[in-house]
Amino acid sequence: MSLRSRLAHRVAGDLLTRIEELEAEVQENRNLNLRVAELIDLVQELLIPVASQDRDRIDAALAKFQHSL
Amino acid sequence: MTAAAPRVDSVRVDGRGIWFRSAADDVVDVCFDGRRVWSFWLQRDSAPSAGGRLAPWPSALLRFLDGTTRLSLVAHVSGVTVYDEEVSLGAGEGRIAVVSPEGKPLGLDKSNRLSQTFDSRSAEQVAPLLDSIAHVLDAIREAGVEAFLAYGTLLGAVRQGGLIGHDSDADLGYVSRHSHPVDVMLESFRLQRHLSTLGFDTYRYSGIAFRVDVIEGDGFRRGLDVFGGFIAEPVGDLPPMLYLMGEIGSPFEREWVYPLTTATLEGRTFPVPGKPEKLLEATYGPGWRVPDPAYHFETPRATVRRLNGWFRGIRVLRSEWERKLSHHRDKPAPDRASALADLVVAHEGVPSHVVDLGAGRAGDALWFARQGSSATALDFVPRAAEAARRAAEAEGHTLAVREVNLLSLRSVLAEGARLARSPGPRTVLARHLVDATVPAGRAGAWRLCEMALRDGGRLYLEFWAGDGRRRHEGQLLAAVPVELVAAELQERGAVIVHREVTTMQAASGETGPAGERTVARMVAEWQTR
Repeated sequence: MSLRSRLAHRVAGDLLTRIEELEAEVQENRNLNLRVAELIDLVQELLIPVASQDRDRIDAALAKFQHSL
Repeated sequence: MTAAAPRVDSVRVDGRGIWFRSAADDVVDVCFDGRRVWSFWLQRDSAPSAGGRLAPWPSALLRFLDGTTRLSLVAHVSGVTVYDEEVSLGAGEGRIAVVSPEGKPLGLDKSNRLSQTFDSRSAEQVAPLLDSIAHVLDAIREAGVEAFLAYGTLLGAVRQGGLIGHDSDADLGYVSRHSHPVDVMLESFRLQRHLSTLGFDTYRYSGIAFRVDVIEGDGFRRGLDVFGGFIAEPVGDLPPMLYLMGEIGSPFEREWVYPLTTATLEGRTFPVPGKPEKLLEATYGPGWRVPDPAYHFETPRATVRRLNGWFRGIRVLRSEWERKLSHHRDKPAPDRASALADLVVAHEGVPSHVVDLGAGRAGDALWFARQGSSATALDFVPRAAEAARRAAEAEGHTLAVREVNLLSLRSVLAEGARLARSPGPRTVLARHLVDATVPAGRAGAWRLCEMALRDGGRLYLEFWAGDGRRRHEGQLLAAVPVELVAAELQERGAVIVHREVTTMQAASGETGPAGERTVARMVAEWQTR
């Protein structure tokens, strides 16, 4: 194998590794969408009864939230 | 594929499958005594064998193949019969009957799952399904979302004005008014909450898809899938893309969906996208007009990666555990304490509140309830604990069963908060949870424990310990390194106060073949901060 093709081979190998890393990083980022949505949903549904400082309403909101999952 | 019949010669049928010679690639229905039970593509679904090709029996059919039947092969599109013979399989003497335990005729759908396909149901029998579709569409509309018939249900309505014979369920879809995945998921959560408030039982598949269960007139529980979708903003010169759970990613215009129009399905009128042919082409490709009872989606990798990355991951191994535990639904939980329960009692006596996390059939939860603990059984397949709950109730003990999905942050945080509010201290026991879930599930478990145990109490774990090799397909329990579990717990602020590693003989089962296994038990606590 010539020096040139050995070099090309190595570059191709490096690029493949970097593509795999990039793909993993893209998926890690995409995964954040679901976590963010879950957090917003929970906070939004619970903040209103929490703001009212009403224990019974907080408990009821939590139970209703869980039931709807 | 053409409407001409394919040439199929030298057909032989035996216990392995259907052997034939053919150069044609066409989709063929396999009929037993004149009724379709399976369809396959001559080339795609067969392999070279003894100079011809062998289409092996799908595993779901194997248990029925014992007896005699008139087996015919009918080219699906042309309707021409290419083989028709009396055939004997196995040692049985009667007629082969592919039927449910109640005697209802079954066939394989396009995913080779046994179901009561529409071709074996009368108009009277499908009327409740049509009522259910209308009922759920109305409920979704009330929540401000305009849903329509999707996938095979849309295809049937547009192509033939009726349900597709080889289909077995009905699908609904909608395209969100939002264009960001987070907003689209929030809308789907809100939609599910609305349906839940109306009294429907629902089951979430992913961030934008869930099932609505409708109880029909005869008590049959029908699940309708509601698939969310959205149109992603164009990037650069690229066109706007429609992503519809669970298979579609295609250049699309919103005007092809809204305003909706209507189509007829079995004589009833239902909403469909403004240009349904555009959605059908995005779903099934340009050949959507030609029937294919063995259709396989070939969803592009880029679409699968996007749908997986944005929306999926809350149901890993869930179907497998549901299947496993469904066999035990009515079986009473074992009436004895596990070795882990013994360890709890040795350290704590009988705790006032025991939480059985990943309870399965809830044997330990029931045992503790019988000893006087207030017991809570948590699992993502809560119906497996139903027999234990009923037993506790009949005996006057306290055993609450709740659904918790450790892969869903909402579920973990809500249950964690609920446990933290219950009278403490609490003892959490998790037997074969660590080895039954994936790393994200363990992270959820530690978060839940941190919330439930931050003001005292302890976590007791038992799991198969090992080198953490990847779980192979169908394996439910996979050994996890003890050091990995310890490190994860410590990272979440826990202190390991006890650990033991022993070996024991295990019977063959979900863990693999019978043999010696290493079992780890660990006790952790979150010391008051």
